[in-house]
Amino acid sequence: MDRKIAIKVENLYKSFGKGESYISVIEGASFEVYKGELVALVAPSGAGKTTLLMMIGCVEDPTRGTIWLGDEKVYENRWLTRETRRIRREKIGFIFQAHYLIPFLNIIENVTLVPQVNGVPKEQSEKEAMELLEYFDIAEKAHSMPSELSGGQNQRAAIARALANNPEIILADEPTAALDLDRSFDVVKMLKKIATDQDVAVIMVTHDEAMLPLCDRILTIENKKVVSKESKEAKIL
Amino acid sequence: MINLAKREIEHTLGKFLVTSAGVGMLLGIVLIMIGVYRGMIIDAQVLIDDIGADLWVVQEGTLGPFAEASRVHEDLKNSIGIIEGVEKAEGITFQNMQVPTQSGLVRVMAVGYDPLGDLPAINESRLREGRTLKEEHYEMVATDKIGLKLGEKVALGRDIYTVVGITHGSVSSGGDPLIYVSLKDAQELQFLYSNARIRNDRARGIRGESSHMVNAVIAKTKEGYDVKEVANDIERWKHKSVYTYAQEKEILTKNLIERASKQIGMFTVILVVVSTIIIALIIYTMTLEKIKEISIMKLIGLPDRVIVSMIVQETLLMGILAFIAANMFAHAIYTKFPKRVVLEIPDALILFIVVLIASILASFVGVKKVLAADPREAIGG
Ligand SMILES: Nc1ncnc2c1ncn2[C@@H]1O[C@H](COP(=O)(O)OP(=O)(O)OP(=O)(O)O)[C@@H](O)[C@H]1O
Ligand SMILES: [Mg+2]
Repeated sequence: MDRKIAIKVENLYKSFGKGESYISVIEGASFEVYKGELVALVAPSGAGKTTLLMMIGCVEDPTRGTIWLGDEKVYENRWLTRETRRIRREKIGFIFQAHYLIPFLNIIENVTLVPQVNGVPKEQSEKEAMELLEYFDIAEKAHSMPSELSGGQNQRAAIARALANNPEIILADEPTAALDLDRSFDVVKMLKKIATDQDVAVIMVTHDEAMLPLCDRILTIENKKVVSKESKEAKIL
Repeated sequence: MINLAKREIEHTLGKFLVTSAGVGMLLGIVLIMIGVYRGMIIDAQVLIDDIGADLWVVQEGTLGPFAEASRVHEDLKNSIGIIEGVEKAEGITFQNMQVPTQSGLVRVMAVGYDPLGDLPAINESRLREGRTLKEEHYEMVATDKIGLKLGEKVALGRDIYTVVGITHGSVSSGGDPLIYVSLKDAQELQFLYSNARIRNDRARGIRGESSHMVNAVIAKTKEGYDVKEVANDIERWKHKSVYTYAQEKEILTKNLIERASKQIGMFTVILVVVSTIIIALIIYTMTLEKIKEISIMKLIGLPDRVIVSMIVQETLLMGILAFIAANMFAHAIYTKFPKRVVLEIPDALILFIVVLIASILASFVGVKKVLAADPREAIGG
């Protein structure tokens, strides 16, 4: 197979606290996620899904191990760059259960903020943002404030924002948890389409079994390790 | 690049403006305080500038006639008038008194000068109505602040005076409004005892004290003479203290400037510090209120400089708006103060720089909060 690796994790450990409050969450996880793939991350509550996602997203510090994002080895027992935020804004798009749009910026400003920080000229970033908003069917809301949009519209705007910096990786933590079934299908289909069309690796945490058939593969956390399953197997979880 | 500070302020505009205006009023008081100080310094010099004498001859060993009490005989003016280098000399008196007006007693300083003499004390350019003194008795020129009208009759001591002129801006070094009366009247008001006292003294064989006293003899020097040398001559021969115009001015203003600048300086510093603390607190709470958004910004990868510059810009803008509000406030009310308030542009500029520095200092608390914000907090943590 000549699929390109987007994320490679090797022997990753993560624990919190010391002494009495010590808790080990991940112990020696190793796995890969490829470009163009929509991968579901499914595990019981408290298993460490968010923690894992945040380590890949260079937000949470692992205890030890190695993380590659694309060709760049970003972590080997320590962050290999002082600027983990640069990695985030250049390579990664985040989507959460809540939209986390910035309330004092309108939709198009929310979407163009990171690209503009990355040095994309204003005009170009706005043009690309409008294309995204059209794609998500909220172009007419471009100059509205997040408070003026419905939950579903805001979530789509948040996905547009996650895509605006042309990320190699999208990390989605329960993006459908607040949506009804139809909307959830729409969002996951969108993520699937983005993965295929733009060759992006998408990891999506979900508790919703109905979404799993749309995913290419399932990752679960078993015995504090990450296990990969075909999506058919996972359905019976 | 999107201006985050601008966007955020638009989002909370009302609150931002009200806060700026509030801080602006505090800073406006700072401007007024400085203006009061400037006014005091100017007031302190009005009287001696109006009189315009080159030399002030006062009781030996005193810093008279303003800073210390001084009495000299009126006829001293004659012996000084003939000293080499002196062109003319006159007696002059100063006394604080209460003048009855329609709105009650007003504290004034009365200047007594000889209306027929060579050195009139009234600066004619200040005359707004009527004329200066002409008669030797029972005429008065009053400054407009007192509230007397031209032609009004005023009872002072045992006599009735007529207001024959109204001046504008005549004040004593302490900021009290001035009236001018003739030297003879002034001497009577100042030095004559009551009838009862005189009778009493006579009965005891004490001769009535001469009312021919003045508080100072003022003199003009002749062209070509060194004022200092003339002053030294008088001091040596007449055993009096003699001050030049510059020295008298220094006596008047030095003490005043020292004390007033300390006093007003203290108030100013306190108000500026309070304003800084208020701005800092406001910026701090504004930062706390958007700490979630700041965490999101960090999470999606915005560099610190973008977020910090948002906070600093907001603080600076608040400082600038407060400064503008301060000037509007100060200019709206400064004429309503009883004493002179002088708003000067250089003072405002210095305050502007101080406000900018204070704003930057105030933003530090917000910036510290920004730098400490954890991107993990964005997602509920
Ligand atoms: N900052 C922290 N300090 C201490 N323990 C933490 C911290 N963050 C997470 N944990 C612990 O790590 C474990 C994994 O948490 P995580 O949020 O990754 O679970 P999750 O799989 O995302 O759960 P959920 O499905 O409920 O979102 C939990 O036991 C949690 O208590
Ligand atoms: Mg979670």
